[in-house]
Amino acid sequence: MHKRLLDFLDVRLGIRDILEQNLTKYLLPKNVNIWYTLGAVLLALLSLQFVTGVLLLVYYVPNPAEAFKSVEIIMNDIPYGWLIRYLHAVGSNVIVIALLLHMLSVLFMGSYKKPREFTWISGFVLFNLTLVLCLTGYLLPWSQLSFWATTVATEAAGAVPLIGDGLVRFMRGGAMVGDATLGRFFALHVMVLPAGLVALVGFHLFCVRRIGISKPPFGEDYAPTEVADEFVHEEHPGGIPFFPNYAIKDLAVISLFLGLLALLVFFAPGLFIPPSAFEPADPFTTPAHIKPEWYFLWAYQTLKIFPSEFLGLAAQGVVMTLLALLPFLDRGKERRPFKRPLFLTCYLLGILLFVAISIWGHYS
Amino acid sequence: MSEILESNQQRRTFLGILLGGVGLVLAGVFTWPIFRFLAPQAETEGGQIRLAKNEVSVGGAHFFSFQGLPAVLLQPQAGDYIALSAVCTHLGCVVKWVADKREFLCPCHAGQFSMEGTVLAGPPPAALESFPVSLEGDQVVVG
Amino acid sequence: MMRRHFRYSAGLTFCLLLLFSGSLALAEDTVCLQCHAALEGRLSAPVSAWQTSIHAQNGISCPDCHGGDPTDFAMAMSPARGFLGVPKYGEVPAFCGRCHVGVKDDYLNSAHGKALNSGGPQCVSCHGNHGVQQASLELINPTACSRCHEFGRAAEIKTAMGETDRMIAGLRTELASLARLGIRVREIEGEAFALRNDSHRLFHTVEVEKVRKETAAFQQRGDGIGGEIGAIQDELGDRKLIGVGVVGMLLLISIICFLIRKTYQQDEDAQRQSSED
Repeated sequence: MHKRLLDFLDVRLGIRDILEQNLTKYLLPKNVNIWYTLGAVLLALLSLQFVTGVLLLVYYVPNPAEAFKSVEIIMNDIPYGWLIRYLHAVGSNVIVIALLLHMLSVLFMGSYKKPREFTWISGFVLFNLTLVLCLTGYLLPWSQLSFWATTVATEAAGAVPLIGDGLVRFMRGGAMVGDATLGRFFALHVMVLPAGLVALVGFHLFCVRRIGISKPPFGEDYAPTEVADEFVHEEHPGGIPFFPNYAIKDLAVISLFLGLLALLVFFAPGLFIPPSAFEPADPFTTPAHIKPEWYFLWAYQTLKIFPSEFLGLAAQGVVMTLLALLPFLDRGKERRPFKRPLFLTCYLLGILLFVAISIWGHYS
Repeated sequence: MSEILESNQQRRTFLGILLGGVGLVLAGVFTWPIFRFLAPQAETEGGQIRLAKNEVSVGGAHFFSFQGLPAVLLQPQAGDYIALSAVCTHLGCVVKWVADKREFLCPCHAGQFSMEGTVLAGPPPAALESFPVSLEGDQVVVG
Repeated sequence: MMRRHFRYSAGLTFCLLLLFSGSLALAEDTVCLQCHAALEGRLSAPVSAWQTSIHAQNGISCPDCHGGDPTDFAMAMSPARGFLGVPKYGEVPAFCGRCHVGVKDDYLNSAHGKALNSGGPQCVSCHGNHGVQQASLELINPTACSRCHEFGRAAEIKTAMGETDRMIAGLRTELASLARLGIRVREIEGEAFALRNDSHRLFHTVEVEKVRKETAAFQQRGDGIGGEIGAIQDELGDRKLIGVGVVGMLLLISIICFLIRKTYQQDEDAQRQSSED
């Protein structure tokens, strides 16, 4: 039966060839490590966001008068609505964790270097797209947290010289966060950004497959190679077949992350969801202790450290631009972390700075 | 070498079956909430609905939703109320009230019903379902 | 200019503080406050006292009690705009009782209320005026009560009510932790709030016997609320049980996959060795 189906598809689509090329005969480097599973983990978590997001869309009402109530109904009256909603809200946090780990491992192994600049940049844009998805999704439940987090986040753009005020107004669709803001954030969150995300994930994977997966810069038989000035697909003869040998490891780590997500959803959903998320938005009362999500704390705190908001915003822009263009700035062929002391120092200091500023932001 | 491969193959078969089993249970555990999440909420059977008496004039008709379906309240004489399903028994269109003839006309295939819901003409196979009505103060209780 | 000033400070405080004060101003900026805050002594004291009060927290501002027009400097204190001014000593229960109706009734029927015209205590004697705080049993204390009579009977009432108060406080803490999880407990919170108000209102009868008798009824109502909370907590317990199962299965899948990966690893190593040999 199984074979006849394959025959049927093979005659019409040449499916066996595609499967072989991408699964059983797609060879990964011998020394491929566990960090290479994070891409698959992210793919799985993003798919979960799509499924839970569509389910929430069935009952959510994108109207300031009813949004909060509709979320409350999802949480209390719809069977397992609480589960779907928590999976979606807590899931976004787990995605950010996985994204950070994915990017840190790529940085550590120098995999972003020529000829993989497009992979890095598309990944970096994906990271930012995810953060914007988080931010727009934040507003939708129309809670105190939603309202004020969005007010603060959009207000920051006001520091841009000349066009700042107009920019803030444009993002909000008015002078204040209100009906118009919900409309545009809703459209972004459920349509524009997910579509962009899917397209960009496609491009990212295309880059990965087209240029070939990078060899981890570890072990005795690794030596930095000169990168040719013409297109070369990096092959790994004698390597590990992606399927089933490595795919099973992908599945193992995916389950591990889903287990972490389930652990948070069932036992500590409040960890990422502050109390003000359960109060309806009130445009006339700012809650006392409003803080952005943990992954925005660094940005929040840098704005406070600098003497003016504009300088803070500029500093953030410089850091993000440097990171985005890293493969064009860091052009040495050496990828072994311990032979790149300057990079490794910056890397570790960067992580330390990120953590320290975030903690500072949390307690300030 | 071939022994290793063979024993590993056996272990994989065993682990694979185990994985399939747990995976199947887990798939069920995830599918069930999604099914329940999307399943329609149980209609409150035998639920009552209260309408203000002044919503329907004498000789007039007031359409409302009852147990999830269209229904109509009539007041043939002052203080006398009738509640009927407004769904035509022929093909499920919603009937219209023809005030000057004091009867219902189904716009789809010209089925005609009396104020009591009985079939006067046309294709409908049965009378319109009627609901019990009682009065409470200035309200009409249907159901 | 305002805008630039705003921007500059926002850089320092990430605009939160200013937004906060801005929104407060929006809710409170009545001409009453603007004028009185600038006056001196007796005439400005109510402003700061009120800002710390439970009334301010709940958005009850000057005109809600004193009447008048909070939007018009010239006519703010005109009787034509409903300005009432300061009530006389004996008028205070009627003044506060416009909102606190139940308490007023109990108070007027009590020994305290009956003594009103002969210098007995009224609302402000115990609760204070502009700086009024959320009522608590601490208002019944030797210093306050001994101004007029011995503390003995008051202490008895306090003890009887303390138990109810603690029970209600416990219920409200549990409700708050449920609300924290997104559970809709507004109705039950309303019941608990009503119970608290009824029990506090009871004090105003200042009758030891009555307080004792009604305390039993309050306990019963509290048990009812406790039952509702218990049902929700049971449901949450069930969810945790499911959670244990789901997390367990996911970890099991992870472990099985790692074990399968290990067999492939052995194969890969064996193959590599044989090709090297």
